[in-house]
Amino acid sequence: MESNSIIVSRLTKKFSFSAKNASSGWIKNLFFPEKKEIVAVNDISFSVKHGERIAFIGPNGAGKSTTIKMLTGILFPTSGMVTILGLDPTKDRKKLAYQIGTVFGQRSQLLPNLPLTDSLEFFGVMYDMSDEEIQKRIRELTELFDLGSYISQPVRKLSLGQRMRAEVAASLMHKPKIILLDEPTIGLDVVAKKSLRDLLLKINREEQTTIFLTSHDVGDIESLCDRTIIINHGIVIKDLPTQDLAKTFVYEKYIDLVAQNNFEVFPKLPNGIRYSLQEKNKVTVVVDVNQISVQDSLKILLSLFEVEDVNVYSADLETVIRHIYETDSIGN
Amino acid sequence: MKQIRLAIKIVKTLVKDRIQYPGRLIMDLVAILMRCGILLILYWTVFKLNDGMINGSTFLFSAWSIFFYFSFSIMRYREISRVIMQDVQTGNVEVLFSKPISYLSYRMWWQIGSGIYSFFVITIVSTVGLMLLIGLPPTMTIGLFLPTFLLTFLLGSILSLLIYIIVGLLSFWIEDINPIFWMVDKAVMILGGSYLSVSLFPPLMYKIALYSPFGASQFVTHTVFTSWQSNWYQLVGIQLGWILALGLIVFVMFGKAKQNVSVNGG
Repeated sequence: MESNSIIVSRLTKKFSFSAKNASSGWIKNLFFPEKKEIVAVNDISFSVKHGERIAFIGPNGAGKSTTIKMLTGILFPTSGMVTILGLDPTKDRKKLAYQIGTVFGQRSQLLPNLPLTDSLEFFGVMYDMSDEEIQKRIRELTELFDLGSYISQPVRKLSLGQRMRAEVAASLMHKPKIILLDEPTIGLDVVAKKSLRDLLLKINREEQTTIFLTSHDVGDIESLCDRTIIINHGIVIKDLPTQDLAKTFVYEKYIDLVAQNNFEVFPKLPNGIRYSLQEKNKVTVVVDVNQISVQDSLKILLSLFEVEDVNVYSADLETVIRHIYETDSIGN
Repeated sequence: MKQIRLAIKIVKTLVKDRIQYPGRLIMDLVAILMRCGILLILYWTVFKLNDGMINGSTFLFSAWSIFFYFSFSIMRYREISRVIMQDVQTGNVEVLFSKPISYLSYRMWWQIGSGIYSFFVITIVSTVGLMLLIGLPPTMTIGLFLPTFLLTFLLGSILSLLIYIIVGLLSFWIEDINPIFWMVDKAVMILGGSYLSVSLFPPLMYKIALYSPFGASQFVTHTVFTSWQSNWYQLVGIQLGWILALGLIVFVMFGKAKQNVSVNGG
């Protein structure tokens, strides 16, 4: 767990594109179009130790997938440096591909019309494994991923959950040291999600595979990753152990007030307390404990509302993450 | 060695895929029989109206020339343009770029694998049928025919793939390559001798067919004519020249294209 698998230093990616200028004529637009530039990833740096499980999260358009694509050598950085297992992805893309596995949740790498075994054999040959190694690895993965019941079925006939297991299995054919997953649980039901997470934890434990995943699913982050990097507007805004993430907004407490009868009015709240939800049967407020204690807040709230039930709790991880995104957006 | 093993695996896998779905083979066979059959009936009538000889060629030679064009087209090399465009547009290119393979050679073998099964089955069936129906011209029975035919077929395959790869690679810069594809494809069809046999081309058009890459990619259609025996090495030389030139263009374009990838990220 000591050496770094991934080192990212001052990485930047800019996309430039031609944009039509309404005030210019069509000839000017055709031959001298206006160039616009988007900074997708802006000067980010981080490193990942061997065997770590990293969640790389951020809102849509934050730069997550762009970063993953630069890590795998698919996209060329505008500036900065990436080193994966001592290799430069832009120069050693093929060499690096032998060391890493990739799963792009929204794209399939399997052969749709043929049984899954054919896809696995195909990848084995692609990764230059001997026939014996291929058959041995297929047996291992079949057992590990419980593929036995559908390994002989054409891939297009698999359910989404089965297909995603198969996708991950295929990406592990060559025993990669790092697996990069771009939204692997997208579209899966809760059972399939849990099953996939358990499998990833298992391969991390048994094969010491470094896991680097992007996801919008808080469950993936909570149950799978020991460290979370949050990116927004192309900039890393948080990089901390996942268990510390929930503590980020520990100064905020949530209080649910369930109405005895319907709430008719929503009076102005004192400093340190603000509404999060205003409904006739339920009100949720956020208390900033730096400004006002929970006890004082409760006293005030109970004097303002006739309640049947009260619930005090800290923010869940999803709320924390949302809060981080929102705070960062306001800051920008 | 790894490249050869992978190429064989791709071809074997796709042949297996095609064998599992015979409907596509039957559709290909019906399409070729209809297109080529109608043309051959038309040609037979036209030649008959001209006492069996047009521009020094007979129906037998022209029929086999046209058949070679259609047989070659079953390999579907042209589809590589659209496959590359789809890879770029859908972002599938990122899946292939993350594998330890050369994207273009993977796509080339994929295309060969996609067409080879239909090609062999349909060509064998059609060749036997055509032999029984109209017979073989004497130029196809001499010893030189088969090796030079196979050589020009191989070079024509490489040249076709290079032409259509160049068109496909344009999709890294422009959104829709279909208009360019259409122009190139029609140039290959016309100059390759699909609907009008090359023996019937007027002199200028024949020269263009000879010296352009579009015509050169279809030199299999020339192999049946008497002139092939004396000038085959010149035509093979032209094919080699174009392969070198277009190969260099593909190499440079792909180098630039890799840096221009912008699959939907972020």
